[in-house]
This record gives sequence, C-alpha cells and structure tokens, in this order.
Amino acid sequence: MDYLRSREDFTALQKRLYSDYNADIPTIIIPAGTCGQASGASDLVRTAQREIIKRKLQGKIHLRITGCHGFCEMEPSVLIEPAGTFYPRVDITGMKRIIDALVRAEVVEDLLFVDEETGQKITRQDDIPFYRHQSRLLLSQNEKIDPLDVYDYLRVSGYSAFVRLLTDMEPRQVIKEVKDSGLRGRGGAGFPTGLKWEFLSDAADGKGKYIVCNADEGDPGAYMDRSLLEGNPHSIVEGMLIGAYATGADQGVMYVRTEYPLAIKHLNNALKQSRALGLLGRNILGTGFSFDISLVKGAGAFVCGEETALMRSIEGKMGEPRQRPPFPVQKGIHGKPTLINNVETWANIPVVLKNSVQEYTKIGRMNTGTKIFSLVGKIKNTGLVEVPMGTPISKIIYDIGGGQSGKAGIKAVQTGGPSGGCIPEKMFDIPISYESLAQAGSIMGSGGMIVMDENTCMIDVAKYFMNFLKDESCGKCFPCRKGTQRMFELLDDIASGRGTLDHLKTLEELALVLKDVTMCGLGQTAPNPVLSTLKYFRDEYLEHIEHKRCPAGVCKGLISFTINDLCTGCGACVKACPEQAITGEKKQRHVIDQDRCSRCGACRSICKFEAIEIH
Amino acid sequence: MSPEYIKEIVSNHKGELGALISILEDIQDRYHYLPEEALRIVAGETGRSLVDIYGVATFYKAFSLKPRGKHHISVCMGTACHVRSAPGIVDEFTLQLGLRPGETTQDGEFTLETVNCLGTCALGPIVLADGHYFSNVKRQDVKKILPKIKSGFVEEPGDREDRLFPVEVYCPHCNHSLMDEQNPIEDYPAISLGYSFNEMRGWVRMSSLYGSHCLESEHPIAADTTVKLFCPQCHAELVGKTACFDCGSPMVKLGFLGGGSLLMCTLWGCNNSEISLNGHHRRDEHTGESREHILG
Repeated sequence: MDYLRSREDFTALQKRLYSDYNADIPTIIIPAGTCGQASGASDLVRTAQREIIKRKLQGKIHLRITGCHGFCEMEPSVLIEPAGTFYPRVDITGMKRIIDALVRAEVVEDLLFVDEETGQKITRQDDIPFYRHQSRLLLSQNEKIDPLDVYDYLRVSGYSAFVRLLTDMEPRQVIKEVKDSGLRGRGGAGFPTGLKWEFLSDAADGKGKYIVCNADEGDPGAYMDRSLLEGNPHSIVEGMLIGAYATGADQGVMYVRTEYPLAIKHLNNALKQSRALGLLGRNILGTGFSFDISLVKGAGAFVCGEETALMRSIEGKMGEPRQRPPFPVQKGIHGKPTLINNVETWANIPVVLKNSVQEYTKIGRMNTGTKIFSLVGKIKNTGLVEVPMGTPISKIIYDIGGGQSGKAGIKAVQTGGPSGGCIPEKMFDIPISYESLAQAGSIMGSGGMIVMDENTCMIDVAKYFMNFLKDESCGKCFPCRKGTQRMFELLDDIASGRGTLDHLKTLEELALVLKDVTMCGLGQTAPNPVLSTLKYFRDEYLEHIEHKRCPAGVCKGLISFTINDLCTGCGACVKACPEQAITGEKKQRHVIDQDRCSRCGACRSICKFEAIEIH
Repeated sequence: MSPEYIKEIVSNHKGELGALISILEDIQDRYHYLPEEALRIVAGETGRSLVDIYGVATFYKAFSLKPRGKHHISVCMGTACHVRSAPGIVDEFTLQLGLRPGETTQDGEFTLETVNCLGTCALGPIVLADGHYFSNVKRQDVKKILPKIKSGFVEEPGDREDRLFPVEVYCPHCNHSLMDEQNPIEDYPAISLGYSFNEMRGWVRMSSLYGSHCLESEHPIAADTTVKLFCPQCHAELVGKTACFDCGSPMVKLGFLGGGSLLMCTLWGCNNSEISLNGHHRRDEHTGESREHILG
C-alpha cells in the first residue's frame, strides 16, 4: 500500500484514483450489511461474481459490495450505477436476469419497484417516495463505497477534509468552525459538539488526552450507528482524526458493542488500512501530528452507553456509572481528560467541514444538519431514514414510511428508546428537533423510531421498557435498582388485571423520585416511557384498571380467544395449540376450552381464515 | 482446559485498553463459557483479585459461568421485535426445548437466550443461532428452525453446484497463466503455485473452484502456518496489499483475465478468499503499472 509522507503524496494518490476510475462503466451495487446478509445478499454477490467471471464481463461491468442503503424492507436489493436503477427483493434468478439486461443496456421491467399507491413502476431509486423525501447526506455515501476498501473512500474525497484542516488550519479555528456549524450530539442529549471540543482543548496540555467514539448502540430498535460503522467506517476514523487535531488528543478509542460483529470487522480493517497509508500513527503526512485509535469491544451491558460507565468499561472494569461532576473532560479514562462523541456525530464531522460551514448551516430548521432515524415496527417501509432537522414526524411516517403496515391504524411513535417516550398520532405535525421532542415528553435519543398501531398496547410497551431497564440497571444506586423493579411490578399488576387507581398514583410518585435522585442517565430517564404513556394514553390505563380490558388485545391476563364462523375446521390450530385447548370435528367450526387456554396466541398466528378473535 | 493457552491469551492482550474484557471474550470463544480454573489463572497472570475478575465476568451479559450448549440460540427482544410478537417466539422455543431463557438442555445441545437488540430491526422478529440469522420468524417456524440448527446448517443437495464456480487466474507479475490443466482437481484445472515456510519449499495445487478448499501440496503443511507463495513461472513472490478480513494474515493477489482479482489468505487453514471486481485500477507495488493494464 502506498505510504503517504506528505500532503502532496495524498493529493497525488487521490488524483490518480479519480482519473483511473471510469464512472461510466455500469456498476452493480449490492448492499450486504448485517441485514442484507440475513436476507440473502451473500447469494446475490456469489451469483454476480460467477456470472461476471464466467462471461468474462470484467471491465464491462463492475461489482461493488457495500453496507446498508437504508431501505431494509426491500432487501436484498440491487442498485445499478450510473443509471440509478433500483431492483427490490432480488433472488438468484433475478440477479442473472439483471446482468443479462445490463449487457444489453436494458432494464428488467418486471423486477422494478412498484409504487403500491399508484401501481406505477419506478425505475430510478431517487424517484421512489421512500428515497425522494429524504436528504441523505450521510447515508448516500454508503452506496458509493466498498467499506472494506480505503481507496473507495478516498475516491469520493474521503480524508480530504482532514488533510486540508491539518495543513491549512489552526486547531482553534477548527473548533470554531464546528461551533459555528451548530452541530449537536447525535447520541441523544444534543450537547453542542464544538463546545465539548473546546473543553477538551482547554483541559491541561501535555500528553494523554483521549477521544472516544461511543458505538455502544444499545437502544432497542435503533441501528443507525451500525449501518454507519459497517457501511462507512473510514468516515468515523476521519471524524476522529479531525477531533484529535482540533483538541490535541493523542489517543482514540472506539467502543463497539459485541452484538455487531460485522461492524467490528469493518472497523478493524479500516484502522489497519489507514495505518498502512500513514493516515493514522506517528507523524501523519510529515506534519508532526500523531494519533492512533484502538478498538475496544463491549460485552453486552446497556448501561455502558452512559459515558462514565463506558469509560470504566474501557478500563476493563465493571461498567458502573459514577457521579458527575467531575465530567469526563475533567477526569476521564485512567484519570485523563476524555471527550466522548457518538458514531453519528463523528460521521457528521467530515461532512460539516468538507465544504464551507455556511453551507452546512443551511440544512435543517431549528437545529442544523440531518438526523438518521431507524423507522421500525408497524410501518410499511421499514428502514433507515435521514431527514433535515425540523422535518415534521408526519412526513417521516407517511411520506417516507408509507404509513401503517397492516390493517390497524397508527396510534403512536416511540422515540428515544428506553429513555424516550411515546408521541401520539394527533401530535405528528410537530417538527423533529431536540427541543420540540423534549416538550412532547420524549427525547431525540439516538434515533430509534418505533411505530405502534391499534394492536399495540401502551401498557405493554411501558412494561416492556421497564422490564428492560430493571434488567439493565447496574444496581449501584438504590433508587434505580429498586425503583425500576417496583415500577415494573406495578405495571405488571395493571397488565394482569390486578391494578387499582392507587397503582397509578404510586407509579407517578415513583417516577418523580427516580427522575430526581438516581445517579446516572439510565435511572433519570427511566420513567419517561411510563410518564409519556400516562400523559397521552391514560384512557388505556383506566380501561385496564376499571374495566379489566386490554383494548389492543395484548395483555394476556385480560383477554380471551374465541373462534368465529369463518372457521373452516382445517385443524391447523389444533396442532399448533400447546395446551390442547382446541377441539372440533373436521370441517366443522372448532371451539377453545377457556380453562385450558393459556392465551399464547399460537392459534391466531397460524389461522389463515381470521377465525380466531380476541376479546 | 490448558493453562498455557489461558496464559497466552493474557499475554496477547498485555497493555491494551479494556484488556480484561478481551481476555474473557477470547476464553469464552474457545470454551463457550468461563471455567473457574481459567478465571483463577487470569487473576494470577494479571495481578487483579479474583473478586474483580468475577465482578466483570458476572456484570456483562456476554459472559457465562455455566457451560453452554453446543448450539446457541438468541431470540431478539428489541422493541421492534417485541411489537412484532417476539415474546411468542421465546414461548415456542421454551415449549419445544423445555427450558427457559438462560438455560441449557440436559443433553448439552441447545442454550436458549434472549438478547436486547441485534440491530436488524427491519427483519424482526429475529432469531440468531450459531451466527445464522433467521428473519421474520413466525411462531410456527420454530419447529422447522430447530433441526436446521442441530444439523449445523448442512448445505442442501444442489447447493454446492450453485455456490462453487471455476476461476482462471494469472500471475500479476509475468502475466502467465497459473492454471495447471495436467493436474485437475475436482475436474477443473488446478491453480498451481510454489510455497515456502520454515525453509521448506515445494509446490501446491489448489482447486480453482471459488469457495472450495481442496488442495494437494508437496509437503504436509500444518494449520495456522503462514506460507509465502510464488509464481511457478517467474518465481516472483506473490504479495497483496490487504490483510485477511478474518484472521489478519497477509493475503496474496492473483489476477483474472480482463480485470479483477482473487485475494487468498496465506494462513494455512484460514481458507478465506475474496473476489474483487470493483473496477479499481490499483497500482501494483512492483511494476508501478496498474494491474488492469497489465492483464487487459
């Protein structure tokens, strides 16, 4: 690999990569991140490789294997450059046909994306509503690069921002630019990034300052960071290099959760390649600036996403949080000043600084820039969505997400994971910003957006999060350890039909105690899912308590299953029932023995005739 | 359990940030749990108290102090999976295997666990079994999934034909074909190379079916040996710029006629190989010319 000794070396290499690459040659792009692979992208890659080699099409057709493009619902998908043709849910036969057509410069009409609303076929990816309504500042990069190949990143101006700043700009000036950009932490709390950098820069001079990339993406239902780590690892390395130069840090750490093996593989590879090129290590590009990054794996503890816990985990200890102050920038890893930013924040840095900061500040309303959300749950177009700040929730859910996935209407959206809250449908016109979401009783959070419909019980959701938090509470401080436990028990009582109005009162009281006296962010925000559902869906709580009814038909203690006259007597449910509670003659309507029934719902999920009703 | 192996793991991570967690992860990778004896050795080697080590081993969910089954099933309980009925999937596994999450079957075959989020929320409910992802799992699928896990995901007949395909490679230095038509392996001309390791030299012939790992060599070569590979025509050492994505050993690069390249790991037994057809005209270190130019 070419070792770069100066800015001139870097520019020369980049020039050569631009000029050697022929962008007019048709390129087959296959997204193969973790979800792509889980839905069969590896088979498509094999098929494409085989066909290209067998038919000696090298040089005529290129193949690029990339990270996730965001439209997860349609995976495994194929994108053709430069035409921009998009093929959803491709199988092996489809892949062969796409190559056949590509040789003849044609499009396979019957494999194209069909817009369900209009029934029209859409050829180009950019014309599909899911993509058309987004501003994919970060995510669009994922299509352009093979994440295992640093040359691909360099070819799309990768590391240019860093090299320019390193040679042209004083560290102070870089910090000023980041401050002027208005960029705020994408991990959820929204602390101004430039200000955080300034604090580290001002911390005692001399050796031994750390900067950390928090890639412990623990919020259930959120996976934006995974797609950036897998799909564009060098952008995070570049962001950290810029951060190190600006703040004077000489050591970097990426803390990645162990549940993301592919991200770990891609990051390790990216670090190796940058070192081999001389973009990481000692005396980078002959400027005297030295910085290196090590990767530390988590081991499955949600609380380690909290910054003081994360630092302890990096030190190889139990990941228990501690009181702040002192803040990490005063006393961090091994007592040294430490700066912690989230993956998406780091990935934004090269984008912010690539062009003028003025350009960047034009993006978004209320806050600057874009935010990536993972749009999941009961939504038609599941996937990763990147929108400018200030976009109304309704635009994300309906224009991009395509609305509800089933027959039941959308009831609410949950943002911010276990620290966030549920926003009801009637408030979907509020714009996405740190402040407006907080006002609505939720938080921006890291970007999980879980859509819930009429078949989702809000008590069950609150119970789910509380169960999660009581398991993940580290146990160090009593109010969190016992508070989450007690709140879970109260919610479980309500869900099982044992709830009284006193339960609600105690819940609200406990929620305030937790907010006030727990030590770290996990405990302080733990009551949010309960408080926000209580605020907007109090009726549902009252239904559970006063009428012992679960309107969504979820809470097992309050529902019963019966068979209606749509039953054909096929017997599928009889076999599926683990309790042998269903009986009936062949081809006759069956019945459920209510005493034996455990309300597991196995019969309902297997019935093809919608004959099983919930009451 | 070998004390030497544990000591080796500890010394591999000496001086690293977060060393203890990496050490425990490596031990668990090998034994599928953390044996008490191993933790005692770690305590002795690192100079940290056993209480400390026990604390870390019990704090993190990824570690287990109890032996785990041969097959490891994790049901994702992330929010997206939860609202799409993941609890029913857990119930069904519990019913089929007769064990609750966190437990192992008596015959030591299966361990059932739940995980908080695997980050593949679009495909939920998700079940991860021995590294394989099952997506959009329905309750009734569980019965079909279990035998697949138990059989170790053996390929279905016919799969092999579909997955394996022949390639023809050239030396990137002298542009000679590396294919040996006289000595076919698996009915296709073999890729013929020279090797050296520990002052031993010899020839090796590898199957040219991409994805097959059949080969014959002049001397027996032990697994985990890193070898140097040479072109039998021009005797130049074959080198690549990339490190193996799986094991980190150097990979050699062979060219395809018309462009593109085949990367092969030089660690015997690693078997990793990658095809690159992304159209980069990368310069070759030795000739200074772009490879596509030489071959095309």
